[in-house]
Amino acid sequence: MTDKEIKSKRREFLKNIGRLVGYGTLGGVFAGFARSLWPNILYEPPKRVRLIDPKNLAEGMNYFPEHRLFVFKKGNEVWAISAICQHLGCTVNFVPFGQKVKKKILGKIIEEEWEFHCPCHGSKYTQDGDIYAGPAPRGLPHYPLEIDPATGFLVVDMSREVKKDWRLKV
Amino acid sequence: MKEKLYQVWRALIWTFDPADRGEAGKAITRNFWLHWFPPRMTKRSLSWGYSLWLGTISAVLFFILTITGIILMFLYVPSVERAYQSIKDLEYAVSFGWFLRNMHRWAAHMMVASVFLHMVRVFYTGAYKNGISHMAKRQINWVVGMILLGVTLLLSFSGYLLPWDQLAIWAVTVGTQIARSVPILGDDIYYVLAGGTRLDQNALIRFYTLHVIFLPALLLVLFSYHMWRIRKDEGLASVEQEKIARKSGKPVQPEMVFSTPWAVRRIILVSLGTFVWVLFLTVFLESPLEEPASLEWTPNPAKAPWYFLWLQELVAITTIRIGGFTLNGGFIGGVLIPAILGGAATIWAFIDKSPPEATGVWFHRSRLVQNLVFTFFALLIVGMIIFAMYFRGPYWGVYWPWAWPELPEII
Ligand code: HEM
Ligand code: FES
Repeated sequence: MTDKEIKSKRREFLKNIGRLVGYGTLGGVFAGFARSLWPNILYEPPKRVRLIDPKNLAEGMNYFPEHRLFVFKKGNEVWAISAICQHLGCTVNFVPFGQKVKKKILGKIIEEEWEFHCPCHGSKYTQDGDIYAGPAPRGLPHYPLEIDPATGFLVVDMSREVKKDWRLKV
Repeated sequence: MKEKLYQVWRALIWTFDPADRGEAGKAITRNFWLHWFPPRMTKRSLSWGYSLWLGTISAVLFFILTITGIILMFLYVPSVERAYQSIKDLEYAVSFGWFLRNMHRWAAHMMVASVFLHMVRVFYTGAYKNGISHMAKRQINWVVGMILLGVTLLLSFSGYLLPWDQLAIWAVTVGTQIARSVPILGDDIYYVLAGGTRLDQNALIRFYTLHVIFLPALLLVLFSYHMWRIRKDEGLASVEQEKIARKSGKPVQPEMVFSTPWAVRRIILVSLGTFVWVLFLTVFLESPLEEPASLEWTPNPAKAPWYFLWLQELVAITTIRIGGFTLNGGFIGGVLIPAILGGAATIWAFIDKSPPEATGVWFHRSRLVQNLVFTFFALLIVGMIIFAMYFRGPYWGVYWPWAWPELPEII
């Protein structure tokens, strides 16, 4: 290799380093800009919230609009079903029948007192929140309830789901 | 008479009397307002019937939107506590607030329509083709145009949220949830779009910023490039017709006219016409404002703005279940199908191998089949919009428009 060739090789090498540093810095800066848009802190209501003194629950359906949550009470059993449609997030309507109705749903005869229907694209859920018509890919989630020992209030934990036969005895 | 008018025009806007064509051309390229026009254009490309001037109409609407939008920025507060109230104030307290809001809103709706129709025009006239030009790369403008169409739709969608009423919140809930239904990446996309896990202040300020600066700036840059390309592509595609005729030895001289007054006059006419039409809508049609946004209950039915109704129809009917495996219609109808349609339309400009003679003329025979296929999809979309608008009732059920069921009061 002649002197000249070595020099030009060295120049090429240094140029590449320069490019790397330049583009790398620019890329890093923009990655930083983009990252700033993913919030680290959310000023949102918590997923685990206190609802109501269970003594004040009505028999049947209780709707908690600010949490988009239905709480049902039958005798001494309570359970909670989300009101958020699993298709694209609209709030489903509670549709009571006023009496027990026998319906054939997904090939089975079941007895229902109410259903949940979604205004946005017509998803229909059974009394237990199972999807039986419309585009929603899954049923409405059930959330666990507990009694806050300090206040005796009902607390719901919307960060985890439970099976649909889950019940809290009060 | 025409000659007389021309002389008056020249006296008004030229400080000197050009001695020949060269000088006349220079007078245009050296004028600040006119320099982005070529000195001369063909009469055919300026005709009403070729382009229908839909691109210009879109640009004028964008101009109206910018002016009214800037004034609205002085009057609107992008906060969840005050957004709705500031729209109410526009309607009832601010002098001519209703006028501003209506004008901005109707121009926005018109722009979605005119950009779409402009695309339809470009397709039917084969105007993304290069004819026998060696310089032109009109496909690029078709691709830029598709992006412009997307940006126009995003602008409408982001603006839709700002009143923070029931209409707004549910359209955007569904829209953002569609993004969330994308497998794997969905949650991240939603998170950065809404700035959290629910639609709240973070979402409002993000949509606001997109709406008032990011997307309009992007549109302006792309539009400038769109215009620059037309110059570099040697003019609108219709010029290829004259080139082809000349090459085949026909003794046709393309009728060339100076950009001013010929193009300038038409642009002024189109601008005035567009403005008067928007003014008409502004004065005679009111803009809806529903109750303040509340996630606690959803209007029944909750319908998207008309240009997204076909998507709402699609997301409602495309959920597929195979065995235990379910794919949300939100992803299939809301993302996959529009992406395939848009992608196919975008690359079609490169696939279309019809002869050069089919460039820049309406409905050339050689493009019959593709025109029919294009029409089929366009009508399908329009059909779904009409169906969803008039035949979808409570709980998205199918009803005659005059026979919606009475709903019991719920909850
Ligand atoms: C914000 C949206 C848009 C604006 C403001 C705009 C503006 C314009 C203008 C002013 C013209 C000159 C001819 C005319 O007035 O029709 C034009 C031509 C053209 N536009 Fe657009 N456009 C937009 C969107 C689109 C879209 C959605 C497409 C297609 C996907 C498209 C593709 C083209 C092509 C290929 C031409 C050249 C047509 C020819 O040579 O005849 N543009 N555009
Ligand atoms: S959001 Fe409930 S059916 Fe689409």
